[in-house]
Amino acid sequence: MSNGYIILLMASLFLGLGYMGVPVAFSLMAGVLLATALTPISLESMIGQMFHGIDSETLLAVPFFLLVGELMTSANVTMRMVRLAQTMVGHMRGGLAQVVTLFSMFFAGISGSSTADVAVLSRTVAPEMDKEGYDRAFTAALIACASTMANLIPPSIMAVVYGATGNVSIGGLFLAGIVPGVLIGIGLMIYSHLFGPVGVQKMRATLGEFGTALKDSSLPLMIPVIVMGGILTGWFTPTEAGMIACVYILLVLIPLLNRGHLKNLPEDFIRTGLLYAIPLAAIAGASAFGWMLAYLRGPDIVANWIIGIAGTDGRMIMLLLVLLFIVVGDFVDAIPAIIIFMPIINKLTELGNINGLHMGVVIITTLVFGLITPPYGLSLLVASKFVGVSFSKAMFRSLPIYAVFLVTIAFVVLFPDVVLYLPKWLLPESVGCFKSPSGAGYICPS
Amino acid sequence: MDRGLLVLDRHRHLKWKQLDWVERCLMWLCGITIFLFTLSVFLDVVTRTIGTPWLWLQQVTTGFFAWGVFIGMAAGTRRNDHLYLVEMTKRMSGPKRTFMESFNRIVVLGVALCMVWFGFKNALHDLGSYRMPSLIPLTVYTASVPISGALIALFAIEQLVNGWRNGFEGPEDNENLDAAELAGEAQS
Repeated sequence: MSNGYIILLMASLFLGLGYMGVPVAFSLMAGVLLATALTPISLESMIGQMFHGIDSETLLAVPFFLLVGELMTSANVTMRMVRLAQTMVGHMRGGLAQVVTLFSMFFAGISGSSTADVAVLSRTVAPEMDKEGYDRAFTAALIACASTMANLIPPSIMAVVYGATGNVSIGGLFLAGIVPGVLIGIGLMIYSHLFGPVGVQKMRATLGEFGTALKDSSLPLMIPVIVMGGILTGWFTPTEAGMIACVYILLVLIPLLNRGHLKNLPEDFIRTGLLYAIPLAAIAGASAFGWMLAYLRGPDIVANWIIGIAGTDGRMIMLLLVLLFIVVGDFVDAIPAIIIFMPIINKLTELGNINGLHMGVVIITTLVFGLITPPYGLSLLVASKFVGVSFSKAMFRSLPIYAVFLVTIAFVVLFPDVVLYLPKWLLPESVGCFKSPSGAGYICPS
Repeated sequence: MDRGLLVLDRHRHLKWKQLDWVERCLMWLCGITIFLFTLSVFLDVVTRTIGTPWLWLQQVTTGFFAWGVFIGMAAGTRRNDHLYLVEMTKRMSGPKRTFMESFNRIVVLGVALCMVWFGFKNALHDLGSYRMPSLIPLTVYTASVPISGALIALFAIEQLVNGWRNGFEGPEDNENLDAAELAGEAQS
């Protein structure tokens, strides 16, 4: 059987079983095991490959950033940040909608988990929005869209997985994700201001109220400083930065801000222990799937197809990849998608002479969009459940907001200099720069 | 400690009470492994900072991490908490539902048995390989795969037998929030 047919069989089996209701991890493995049986590779080594997919120190950052989100949410520390956002933008037109977006930007800098963000906002701000007469479908749509910023603004778990599997600087991806993350935030605020419900007009908070709210949230807001400061100064790897953030919450935040929560810590660890294992099980399957795809020369087949249309024009290649990932993101979870398609991404990055970091941000931004698009718009699904509105209603309300994401993706593709400005400035090596022989400054690729 | 956290009451009709202690142990192990690798990364940073790094700590860390993933994978199978593309079977009923649910679990069982048999052979093969500088045999890590496979197979059989006896439909068919929440964490 030719390689093309084996790839087709493997992919069809994965999607077919996945859509019949087999868990992602098992449908991936079933596809890989069948493909392996049709090749000279031993099933034993393929099971080993599954293990090696998660045997990575870099992936350890995933449970740490999930633990940060879990601890912050369950210890109820996040309410302080909601109050800070309220004092900053609560007086604007559609005040609570603005609070949702601004809080998501703060929270994105702490947890890197969009579902934790959805959970906090649905518990705290959504009931208030309900009282003020906001349409529930709009509330769910906005919460889902705003929560996607957690995957762009550092620390981002998607960036960790992309960096670990694609051999791209995770610190660089963190920094490069800031521009699209903030662009989405600004876009959502503009959309809410112009087209969202008016809500109840409130008085602008006094400087004293703002000062108090800022003081109350100063300790939680130290987390992004610790994480990014540690990475940028070279003190910690991203994994260690995640651990330091956890230790900071355990030893400083909870004892100072919510001492009563200390007795609940075992529950937080147990919950996170399961929470991180499930996506990583899918990563194990996806890693074997990606390995088999590479063995069967799948990247060459897809790369030839894309090169046939785009030539070696980097922008055209990225545009086609964006289209591919918009479709993929609609059907497959983002993290398995990154791992499965990584050999293809790497091949095309090389052929199009594209900066690896730039490609990474484009792919992550596109996959983030998949979190709010049907049928597998996970953030929207969770938000609609929490807020108590049907998925279809929330989806229709989020349709106009898609424009914000599409503009952001286009911006990221077309303006690499803006997106890569921060990594070039703060982590020059991450964009391929190297120290000049004279020792003064860096020499960067054009 | 919330008992519902350790042994989930959802899909009770698909579970044997006799296996609840296994789920309870697995959940505790999930928590313990994440606590231990948090501690070992912390000690790694501390010992490195004070100038006497314990190099073997990194291998201990990845060991806890890998075991945590495969233990969690098994626990997730009993709790039906895995990541799904769709949960279309929840909208079905009658023989169609029984067929689809049985088919899905037979696929899981098949994969789990492959994990047991080929994972066992792989782990045996790894007896001769060691992680440097700690000299921990690679089998200590890769043994997590067949053990997880055996637990997954056990839970798949448990759900198949109970599903055939009691039916697969349950009151939680309209409450897939927890699974969606768990799945969502992957995305973040």
